[in-house]
Amino acid sequence: MILAAAMSLEVFTTDREIALLKKGDPDAVSAVIGRYQHRLYRFLVRMVEDPAMAEDLFQQTWIRLLEKIGSYDTRRNFEAWLFAIARNLAIDHLRRRRGISLDEPDDSGQAPVERLAADGPDALEQLLDFERGALLAAAIGELPAIHREVLTLRFEEEMRLEQISEVTGVPLSTVKSRLHRALERLRVRIEREGNL
Amino acid sequence: MTEHELVRAMLALAAAGALGPVEVRRVEQHAQGCELCRRDLETWAVYAQGLRKLPQPSAPEGLVQRTQVRIVQERAEAAGRRRHELFLAALAIFGWAAGWAFWTLARAVTGGNLNLFGANLVSGLTWSLVSTVLVWMTAATAALLLGRRREMRRFL
Repeated sequence: MILAAAMSLEVFTTDREIALLKKGDPDAVSAVIGRYQHRLYRFLVRMVEDPAMAEDLFQQTWIRLLEKIGSYDTRRNFEAWLFAIARNLAIDHLRRRRGISLDEPDDSGQAPVERLAADGPDALEQLLDFERGALLAAAIGELPAIHREVLTLRFEEEMRLEQISEVTGVPLSTVKSRLHRALERLRVRIEREGNL
Repeated sequence: MTEHELVRAMLALAAAGALGPVEVRRVEQHAQGCELCRRDLETWAVYAQGLRKLPQPSAPEGLVQRTQVRIVQERAEAAGRRRHELFLAALAIFGWAAGWAFWTLARAVTGGNLNLFGANLVSGLTWSLVSTVLVWMTAATAALLLGRRREMRRFL
């Protein structure tokens, strides 16, 4: 009962915020960007593997979203819509520019995996988690964009397959087969490098 | 395809939480009696757990503020573009209206006959052609001037 009330309140708040976004309210814009900044930025980093480009695409995503907010149908899932805009911009960018590897050093000479911040309960576990995570992140970076996106949306954004289907614009069955193929390819790469 | 093969093909998706309850039960039932599938399912579970705990790239400091600034700039540019478009449209309408008014006046003054190099300048067709060329030239000049002004502002 309480949960249902909380959920309905959350939906109400989101609808109200969307109405404010449609009016161009700067506080609402700031609040919504702030709420999604980490998730959206992470998704874009995973997609394009370039923090500077991810930031540019992040900004373009919000500009595009605010341009289209007038025609946004509130029955649609806002999150899926937002990620779909970001995804399309990232795919357009990748089509123009290819061949970026996750463990390719940037201008500072630092590999992207080294720039990532890890968190864990204690130092040793943190280190093990980080090493495992770095290995996985590097392996993900070698996968095609369509596999990277399905893995990050499922495991990091914890989206349901239906939501992933909405973001990527492909049928549910395709999402399932992409997820399966992405996991298989990831495992092959990891096992080639060493055990997880 | 045997049950074992069918279930093996579902193990990765089972660990990813991408199967329905019926398929999950089917995988679990089979894995209970099949050592190979049970171990493989455990391996997939390690992958799934690892994927959920990947090192997280943190959003850079000031990202929200920079995004807001860019939104404001973009809106200002879009408003400027709209103003320019409206100005050009108004200029075109004014050009046509002024042309039509002047044509009416010229016809009234000349009695509908103003010959130059063998062409009647106040005839409908000649006047239309000349005024169209003049309007397009004016619009092009205005667009160039507006563009240069914008470039100048950006430069300053």
